[in-house]
Amino acid sequence: MRPTFVFIILFLLASRASAQTITDHLMMPKKDFCTGFLYTYERWKDYWEGAQKRDNQNIGTLITSQIMWVGNYGLTNKINLIAMVPYVKTSATAGTLAGMEGIQDLTLAIKYALVKKEISSGTFTAFGILSGSTPLTNYTPDYLPLSIGMASTTVSPRLTATYKLASGWYALASAAYVWRSNVSLDRPSYFTDGNIYFTNQVWMPNQFAGFYSLGYNKNALQVEFNLTQQNTLGGGDIRKQDMPFVSNRMNSMRLGVLGMYYLPKPKNLALRAHVSYTLNGLNVGQSMAVMGGFLYTFHFVKNDNQ
Amino acid sequence: MKKFYIIVFTLMALLAMPFGCKDIGSSENLFPLTPANVDANAGTWKTILLTSANQISIPDPAVTTQQATYLTELEAIKDAQSKLTADQKRTIEYWSVGGVLRWNQLFRKLVAQFNLPPVPNVDGSYPFPDSENPFSNPQFPFANPPYAARAYSYVHVAMYDALLAAWYYKNLYKSSRPDSPYEVDNAIQSLMPKVDLPPYPSEEATMSGAVSEMLKVLFPTAVEEITKLAADQRNAVKWAGKATDTDIAAGLALGKAVATLITANSTGTFTLSGASGAKTINLSLTLASRGRFRTDNLGAAVGSAASWKALADAAIAKGETPWISLEVPPRPPMLPGFGTVKVWGDPGGATPKADNITPVLIIASERPVAPPSTTSEEMKRQLAEVKSYAKNVTRSQISIVHKWADGAGTYTPPGHWNDIAEEYIRDAKFSEVRAARAFALLNMAFHNAAVGCWETKYFYFNPRPGQLDGSIKTTTGVPNFPAYTSGHSTISAAAAAVLSYLFPQNTHYFNDQAKEASNSRLYGAIHFRADIEMGFSHGSKIGSYTVNFAQTDGAN
Repeated sequence: MRPTFVFIILFLLASRASAQTITDHLMMPKKDFCTGFLYTYERWKDYWEGAQKRDNQNIGTLITSQIMWVGNYGLTNKINLIAMVPYVKTSATAGTLAGMEGIQDLTLAIKYALVKKEISSGTFTAFGILSGSTPLTNYTPDYLPLSIGMASTTVSPRLTATYKLASGWYALASAAYVWRSNVSLDRPSYFTDGNIYFTNQVWMPNQFAGFYSLGYNKNALQVEFNLTQQNTLGGGDIRKQDMPFVSNRMNSMRLGVLGMYYLPKPKNLALRAHVSYTLNGLNVGQSMAVMGGFLYTFHFVKNDNQ
Repeated sequence: MKKFYIIVFTLMALLAMPFGCKDIGSSENLFPLTPANVDANAGTWKTILLTSANQISIPDPAVTTQQATYLTELEAIKDAQSKLTADQKRTIEYWSVGGVLRWNQLFRKLVAQFNLPPVPNVDGSYPFPDSENPFSNPQFPFANPPYAARAYSYVHVAMYDALLAAWYYKNLYKSSRPDSPYEVDNAIQSLMPKVDLPPYPSEEATMSGAVSEMLKVLFPTAVEEITKLAADQRNAVKWAGKATDTDIAAGLALGKAVATLITANSTGTFTLSGASGAKTINLSLTLASRGRFRTDNLGAAVGSAASWKALADAAIAKGETPWISLEVPPRPPMLPGFGTVKVWGDPGGATPKADNITPVLIIASERPVAPPSTTSEEMKRQLAEVKSYAKNVTRSQISIVHKWADGAGTYTPPGHWNDIAEEYIRDAKFSEVRAARAFALLNMAFHNAAVGCWETKYFYFNPRPGQLDGSIKTTTGVPNFPAYTSGHSTISAAAAAVLSYLFPQNTHYFNDQAKEASNSRLYGAIHFRADIEMGFSHGSKIGSYTVNFAQTDGAN
């Protein structure tokens, strides 16, 4: 057991983000390090107040932009270490409320290829992933929808299964259970889900996170359609004409299209783009998100296959 | 090696398990109450709305309840104690922290639950909550800060007056009924902390009747919840061996009578029944006028489109920029007539004085001087100051803004100060009647501060910073009423005045907290410095009236 491995495990805290590298079927080979920046622009005008869809002229359009650093290191051919840190900025086009910005949560993950098996003309792979996230700054989660995050520390075990044909077509299903720590508010009392609480501590319901995709990946190209599901296992609804609250039952199902392409030149540089839209939800905005960025792979050992 | 990794994975998953059971710590901040002093003479203290502690008469238990009946009531307690369920034991425990503290908490919950503004209509107009149609959209009430301040004061005054009457009769009939059931019969256990007071009438039953009847009027859609809580409180004292059915029935009738005196919407003779087990006690109450709750002018607080326009016209006539709503669509101003609602200590005009509070408080005479003109250099300077807070607000200032925001969906600033007071009242181990006095004083001061502040706001009708400079963004919602003076500052200064009187050793802390609450509105960029400073001194002055009354009410 390498000391660095132990070190990283100890610091591994959690993940609510279903970032592609955590959920996808790709693994960095040993001593490869893939890193880059991804920019996301997300906006919504309508949101679900409980199950009731509405807009709000005192919010207008809620805009969240984020730039995220991502790194993925091949510890071995079967074990990848992943890290992500986003800088998030929010604003509303109407109303008086100020936007917020800042560094949000660090996400760390270990991805382990549990099983790899040739079945007929394809390959079945199963991954076990343990990820975690924790806030890197003291931002407030009690200012939704303009907070930059939930400020909860999370731990999330995940299983991913994928079947890929030799032709490049693949299907993937991934599911995670997300444990979320309590969060602290700046106020001594709050009302949610029909009760008043005389404490600044908020119990955060855990979540189920699902990710399902169908795609094609061969040589330098990857294209896929995906569904991202978030189900919060408890929590109250936003009351009529109330603000959202950090522990609300925030559910969503998003449809996305992903494309990634390794440029012929410069070698090892990939461009990545993802567009997604909320099909249905509870206590969340119906957002359209566009993500674009680049990833560069460093090979720390000479690899004859390249 | 592979196996090793699988083991590590499993271990990590197990380590994650504690996240599954993360107790937020019970939100319970109260402990079983054993009063430091039972305040046996509280029946002699000054009442607020009752003309005297014996205005409502209750019968001598020796006359209404024969010895045989009394013994049957003791048997009923023994029978109940022999089969207490876990739920019933929890109910006893729940109410053993002191009914006054518990009801105050429950009340704050109701305020938070009902403190949501109406949703605009599709045509951009706004509906108003309707007490005759409380379940509809919008729900009734909208327990906004002035509404809540008034409500908190009425309920706590009702509770206090009812307990003063209960204490009066405990003393009057102490030879008829000197001992609690557990003292009379060794087979009866005492399941609540023992309090050395005559049990008739039961203080818990008295407050259950007074508070629940008040809350039912204020929150008509929560009647089921309120009724259950009140019944629980009475059951708890019976199961705990603290009171018999007669003690409870008399207390309940007394409490209901006090609530009726305050909320009666007609005159005449009322019969108030208190029932417990097989016992019913009827009290008679004759009222020559409707209750103060019905005649304090709240009905005029909403105003009309014409009266809202008149406010703007008056500001324009003075050469000032009138307040406009920053909400979309523009929302009518919150309770513009609230400044004319009767205060505690109001002289009552031509009619007899409505309460026993002295000195008399004339709200309009306490009104702060005019704010800097909207066209003045001073206003420009103050606007620049707000803008600099908006642009450079720090994380610790945001934390102060959010700590004190107490906006929609919360128990409001008066509720926040009740929350603060709770800890001191609990730690001082006040008797029920003294705890009720503390909350009555505090909340009467809040109501007076709210009326004074609203009178000022609508007299000057001054704009918010964000109205004069649209580039000012705020870190909390902009309240939908004029800026001058700050309600938070007025309420908090009044709170500091009353709490400093009650707990003088903590004066420094209360003043610091009040200042912080006041400053939070400037940090949040929703108030000018003039609003918070004038509001603060106004609130201190109004609070001092309540303190002056407290110094002479016989409780010292």
